[in-house]
Amino acid sequence: MGYFLAALCIIALPLIFNDTYWRTNLTICAINVLLALGLDFILGYTGQLNLGHSAFYGLGAYVSTLLIIKLGIPFWAAFVAGVAFAGLAGMFLSLFAVRLRGHYLAIASLGFAVIIYQILLNWISLTQGPLGIYGISPPPAIVVGGTVIADFRNLTAFFYLVSGFTLLVYLLLDQLVRSPVGETLTAIREDEVSAASLGINGAAWKVFAFGLGAAVAGAAGCFYASFVGTLVPDAFYVNEAFTILAMVIVGGMGTLFGPVFGAILLTLLPEILRGMGDLRLVVYGAALTFVVLFMPGGLVQAARMVQDKLRPGGRGS
Amino acid sequence: MTEAAPAEPPVATGTASLLRAENLHKSFGGVHAVFDISLDVPTGSIFAIIGPNGAGKSTLLNLISGIYQPDSGSISLDGQDLSGMRSHRRVRLGLARTFQKIRLFKQLSVLDNVIAGFHVHHKIPAWQCVIHGTAYARDRQHCREEALRLLEFFGMNARLNVFAGELSYGEQRMLELARSLATRPRLLLVDEPAAGLNAAEVEVLLDRIRTLRSRGITVIVVEHNMDLVMNVADRIMVMDYGRHLFQGTPSEVQKNPAVIAAYLGGELS
Repeated sequence: MGYFLAALCIIALPLIFNDTYWRTNLTICAINVLLALGLDFILGYTGQLNLGHSAFYGLGAYVSTLLIIKLGIPFWAAFVAGVAFAGLAGMFLSLFAVRLRGHYLAIASLGFAVIIYQILLNWISLTQGPLGIYGISPPPAIVVGGTVIADFRNLTAFFYLVSGFTLLVYLLLDQLVRSPVGETLTAIREDEVSAASLGINGAAWKVFAFGLGAAVAGAAGCFYASFVGTLVPDAFYVNEAFTILAMVIVGGMGTLFGPVFGAILLTLLPEILRGMGDLRLVVYGAALTFVVLFMPGGLVQAARMVQDKLRPGGRGS
Repeated sequence: MTEAAPAEPPVATGTASLLRAENLHKSFGGVHAVFDISLDVPTGSIFAIIGPNGAGKSTLLNLISGIYQPDSGSISLDGQDLSGMRSHRRVRLGLARTFQKIRLFKQLSVLDNVIAGFHVHHKIPAWQCVIHGTAYARDRQHCREEALRLLEFFGMNARLNVFAGELSYGEQRMLELARSLATRPRLLLVDEPAAGLNAAEVEVLLDRIRTLRSRGITVIVVEHNMDLVMNVADRIMVMDYGRHLFQGTPSEVQKNPAVIAAYLGGELS
């Protein structure tokens, strides 16, 4: 039922917002939702404080684009490679940092993001550094029997592609977190020693969760590169990691719906506030602070509190 | 310390021993937390490890459960050597434990805490974790039923959807026991279960531990309160300053002058 409504929303949105500006924003929104979902799986479900999510986003974008441009590999093969590479990088980082938790993992992952950014910036022979890569093609059109079904040069078609993929990822993650895997990951988040006393191999499951979340970020990166058509390292600077983190926290970590909402809000809010000029950054910052101070569980927690208040006989808190 | 070696056979009626530890040593810095400890726990018995605070009881338990590895010595469960095996692997052999300082998943419900304990027993093909099918549904149903039975056994079935962090101290102890039993252990290690409980709760606790023994689960209880274990343990090992002080039945322990000296802090005469 929820998925049906979500699909309806996805279909209706580009029909309601029919100018290029808003359709572009919608696609960026879908990409950000994907990023937030990946980070939430690592942070909200498994409790790994990952401050380097931008690195996996960038790796997915650059690996897929370079494979297409340098080796002429078809888009979808490069997509799979980009996703796999980002996932493996995530597993590598988690394996390396398996004894680190909390602040220490945060510093290690932040350092990783800085290293990846510096590589993208300075390996000029491969990435063209700050000059950037231009003219990246959108995914090939889907043609069945000579008829073009979806041409991804069209903004609406591209939006349907990314949001459809995002919906699929949401569905699969939702199933996963409601299976024993979800219980295992939340047990590790709550108390790893205690989880080990129940037979849970915390290190292995953390590597798995980090790899999966990073792979989802890699997919977002592939879509980003082919959507924008231009790649510069600055798109994957560490401030991007903090933006994604803010989306997850504002929405509500440890739920899947929260980060979706947080990503949409924090993507569209700056656009809506654009009329306020420089003041918009102040409003944006104040809104963020307000949420973190008064709703530590994010907007999902706030919504639940309101729901409980409205329902007579509901649980108090 | 040779007289404490398992060459001396256990007096209890159970012939086979489930857990056997030989000459365990563990030191932290210069402190010998566990010094040359050997023990032999008969299958189906309640084995108590007692001693004053700081005697090394919890360290010994951590060695058995695999949180620490011994500096020297060996541990085997039902003949299988546990050397170097990490704690999560030992659970699969049937070894479960609770903690002195309760470690629940505070932000999960009572029911979900117990269900997390079934980790090693799920029978779901991996793909059904992503696309839920009949095996998934059967497993969910089965886990829920077994969790409800365990919670009922500990009198917690009215509190299923409460967050574990909101429970009273006594309830948290019971929940931790229920969760550890979800792993279907053969040997249950219980670390200071009575700490912070009132007299009525202790009675319930002792009764449940006896019931577990009657169901074939071997129990090792670590406790510094000697009176508490006197009427539940089949066999008691007394530790002091990391060393083995005495081992025997409750009545033997009560009469032993060395044990009395350790507890009352008096000089050996």
